[in-house]
Amino acid sequence: MNNRAVIHILRFLGLLFLQVLVVDNIRLGYYVHPYVYVLFIFLLPFNIPRWQLLLLGFVSGFFVDLFNGTPGLNAAATVLMAFVRPFVISIMTRRKDINPNDEPSLSTMGVSWFITYSAILLTAHNLTLFMLEAFSFKLISVVLTQTVMSVLCSLLLIFIILLLFKKSNKK
Amino acid sequence: MYNLLRLITKYGYVLLFLILEVLCITLLVNNLPYQKRRLVSFGNSISGCFFNAQANLAEYFSLKEENQLMHEYNAMLMNALTQNVNDTSIIIDTASTTYRFIPAKVVNNSIYSVNNYLIIDKGKKDGVKKDMGVVCENGIVGKIANTTDNYSSVISVLHPYSVVSARFVENQHLANVSWETRDYRFGTVKDIPLHIDLQKGDSLVTSGFSNVYPADIMIGTIEEMLESDSKDFNAAKIRFSTNFSTLRHVYVVENKHQTEIDSLIIN
Repeated sequence: MNNRAVIHILRFLGLLFLQVLVVDNIRLGYYVHPYVYVLFIFLLPFNIPRWQLLLLGFVSGFFVDLFNGTPGLNAAATVLMAFVRPFVISIMTRRKDINPNDEPSLSTMGVSWFITYSAILLTAHNLTLFMLEAFSFKLISVVLTQTVMSVLCSLLLIFIILLLFKKSNKK
Repeated sequence: MYNLLRLITKYGYVLLFLILEVLCITLLVNNLPYQKRRLVSFGNSISGCFFNAQANLAEYFSLKEENQLMHEYNAMLMNALTQNVNDTSIIIDTASTTYRFIPAKVVNNSIYSVNNYLIIDKGKKDGVKKDMGVVCENGIVGKIANTTDNYSSVISVLHPYSVVSARFVENQHLANVSWETRDYRFGTVKDIPLHIDLQKGDSLVTSGFSNVYPADIMIGTIEEMLESDSKDFNAAKIRFSTNFSTLRHVYVVENKHQTEIDSLIIN
């Protein structure tokens, strides 16, 4: 258990630095801003208590905010995403199909399941984030375009990251 | 009690979720100026609605005084018509047609705080813009701070940041009127040159130099001379001609030549 916690912390730090040092510099025009640090939340085990999930969501978002100078923006979006994660999992799978100690990943749940799962959570995250950033329903068309484009781009990046680290995840 | 505890352990995560989200949004709003401004102006339009309903109700109770006031004001205008039109004692004289007056109703008014604001029921749709002046029949009221579609907030003269450029009627000297007394009846003038001799009861009008108010609108009269902390200037306490505690109807002043004047200042 302890060993797993260390893996999660290292994974969080790795994704955090990847996000703020590399991915935040990718700005393909006005509409695309990918977020990969949320992968940390995706990969937490199925049986993690909800309050821990929420707190971890808050902390991870808050760290990204510290680097971006937008206190509360990413944190709000990640907390919301952490809140919906258990519901998404319970809708997409039956309880007997999953081993509660497992982590949701490509190898345990399959490629299509994981992509759907990530896409739903990413949409929740990005939609919240861009809405809070715009802070107005007048800009809803911009927000929706941003969300769709960024979700697609983030999915692609997350998929690449998962493929790169596939072996180490299997252990 | 046991049931309550069970409820908390079962649904505590929803509570935690709400607490964290409120925390995040508080952080966001407190730190990013754009989000802050949006929230404040949204709040203004919501509170404006409520205050409007309240003011509508309260209006019935003051109809009598209101009638009286209108009557007096009417009489004043009639007098002006029969006399020469260029009588400066009439407030809404308007110095030809440079100024346009937009009538508005006060829906919320504070006079007892340190920073006093009013909310009036005219906004962007009626042509009200930021920094326009607001006056009433008896004198000055304040300056527009923020506008939404249907409402505007007004920084009252009773605000520490409010400074009004004024002129003494008796000797044409300029001075600045501020508010430091925390009493809604009195203002302060602190920069009266020593050589000017002033009496209790001397009146002050707007100078018209700030472009917020038209010239020659009554501000108030000198109540008493004060001990000044500076050796170079006299100070005086003035009694506002506007009664801020009973404000109901006000006029937003639009200077039609404002952009023209601004362009000169910028260049």
